[in-house]
Amino acid sequence: MGDVRNVCLEDLPGPSSQAELEAEKVSYEEYCRQLFAPGREFEKPEALKGVRWMSCTMYIFTPHAVANLAELGAEVIKIETPRAGEPMRHTSPFNEAYLYPMHDSRPNTGTGFGYMNANPNKYNITLDYHRPEAQEVFRRLVTVSDGLTECYRPGTFDKWKQSYRYVQEINPRFIYVWGGGFGYGPKTFGASYDILGQAHAGLASVTGWHEDFGGHPAKHTNWIIDWYSGTQITVGILAALNWRRKTGLGTMIEFSQVQCATRALGYGVPMYGRFGIVRQRWGNWDTQLCVHGIVLCGKSDYPDDKNPQLKYDARYVAVSAFNDADFKELCAVIGRKDLYDKYKTHKERLSEYAQMDIYKTLEEWAADKSRSEVAKALTGAGLLAIPVMNDKEVYESEHFRARGTVRWQEDPTFGDVVVQGGYSTGLMSATPRRVKWIWRTLGADNMKIYHELLGYPVSQLEDWYAKGII
Amino acid sequence: MCDIIWCKKCGTVNYLDPYYFWNWQGKTHCAECKTVYYIHMINGFMYAGPEERPGEQADILPLYADKPMDGFASYLPGTEGRTRPFQCQHRHIYLGKPDMVKFSIRGKPLRGWRPQPPSTGRLGSYGFKWDVEKLSPEVWAEYQEKQKRGEVTEW
Repeated sequence: MGDVRNVCLEDLPGPSSQAELEAEKVSYEEYCRQLFAPGREFEKPEALKGVRWMSCTMYIFTPHAVANLAELGAEVIKIETPRAGEPMRHTSPFNEAYLYPMHDSRPNTGTGFGYMNANPNKYNITLDYHRPEAQEVFRRLVTVSDGLTECYRPGTFDKWKQSYRYVQEINPRFIYVWGGGFGYGPKTFGASYDILGQAHAGLASVTGWHEDFGGHPAKHTNWIIDWYSGTQITVGILAALNWRRKTGLGTMIEFSQVQCATRALGYGVPMYGRFGIVRQRWGNWDTQLCVHGIVLCGKSDYPDDKNPQLKYDARYVAVSAFNDADFKELCAVIGRKDLYDKYKTHKERLSEYAQMDIYKTLEEWAADKSRSEVAKALTGAGLLAIPVMNDKEVYESEHFRARGTVRWQEDPTFGDVVVQGGYSTGLMSATPRRVKWIWRTLGADNMKIYHELLGYPVSQLEDWYAKGII
Repeated sequence: MCDIIWCKKCGTVNYLDPYYFWNWQGKTHCAECKTVYYIHMINGFMYAGPEERPGEQADILPLYADKPMDGFASYLPGTEGRTRPFQCQHRHIYLGKPDMVKFSIRGKPLRGWRPQPPSTGRLGSYGFKWDVEKLSPEVWAEYQEKQKRGEVTEW
């Protein structure tokens, strides 16, 4: 190539026509693999780098609200009770091994797996807010932070003179989040756990089988409203950060967990307002679509396994064939074309007696099959069917492995761990989420935050440590 | 979560509380007619049994029993010779003493066992890296052996 000033664009290397350009493009699959590159998140920048957040949180709900920020790059400082830590550290799953961190005061007390996913990438310090000495430390942290999330009962931080109206005076850009059960109002003194969120909002009333089928209102086994509410708080925080960019002013976010779950109920309460109808439970079937539910198969995928959760429970398959053509195909596959003749329209299929008839027929057909045989037969016919997977199968899922959703990671403190939370929340091409560590031990960053960040002398910290202030 | 043995001989429901019977294999009896049953429960699920074992002794008694078809006449916990007293305690394996697993299911070393050595940092502060080779040399040695045997995999 000669003088670049004399070169025509057409002479430059590269496709010379639209057709050549198209031919050179990689497939969409390959494009996505290169764009998202699971496993190479750490080579990319972090979206929230530069944001510092204080986390005065416990259990799952509010810690998860901040964990989202930490995974996106914010520097999160989690403040816990000296020597004990927050209760979630000691709320391990039943019959589950604890992870024992190195700690001076309680060398025999560990942190359970329940702490997982709600506390990644956080720096852990200890502070007892009740002590007068803690007030100044707390305020120093406020002046150098962008926001705070707390979960104490409404008015507790106000009583300690560290609520929004107090911290606003020393840092007007401060974003303050209270997340808890009921919030201000008639039930202000009510504390909350996930189960209250599920029950008070009406969610549990439409979960599980109807009493006619021997069912009861059911809570989700996992603390699903804790995780859901936490994520909703994060949405509020990101909006507040954008608002602050425009106005320079902070915000207070007041987030009631029991009110949050009403959103997940969809049309339930509005329907009551319009028609006076109280929505009922419908278990593993669907009130709006049929066939669109979970079907029990007769044979297990693991007939010889000793574990009853595999031997007996691995028998369910989710089937969806609700539009007319799909339902017709489903009836053909199971050899019951008469069923299609009986319920030709979706409206006919939706009635409760029709659903009982259809699902019963499906289960009779599946009685001599395993769920993978059922799924294979139905997907082979172009229908949607997928086995109801358990944790073992999620771990073994090729799809999740290829996308990096479930992966092994070397945690600096705890060693080899499976991480399934941090990478399951959607991919971002430019600023992906990442898990740097699953959690830190209690007070692990006292020196880093109090001495290195705030500049307190070590002798002062040792004095506080001896007095149980930190 | 509680499984039951509904004794067909006398119509008594014997409650197998999870405190003792959650993961348990052995013999218990009907509080009313004292028929001995063998059961095997795995994670609260009746894996095997109940099978009658005439002439044998029960290992553990049920916690409570009642007769729903007979006006719910009941045997409260701690009825001598019929039910077990309620001591509000799990079996030892559920009292928080964990299994000290040294390797993950793919064979790579874990860290952080109890009791912990005193921290080298001040104020509970703790470095970012637990060096298995230095801090848990016996696990490191075992890991080397596992690698040689090909027991360490990627998944």
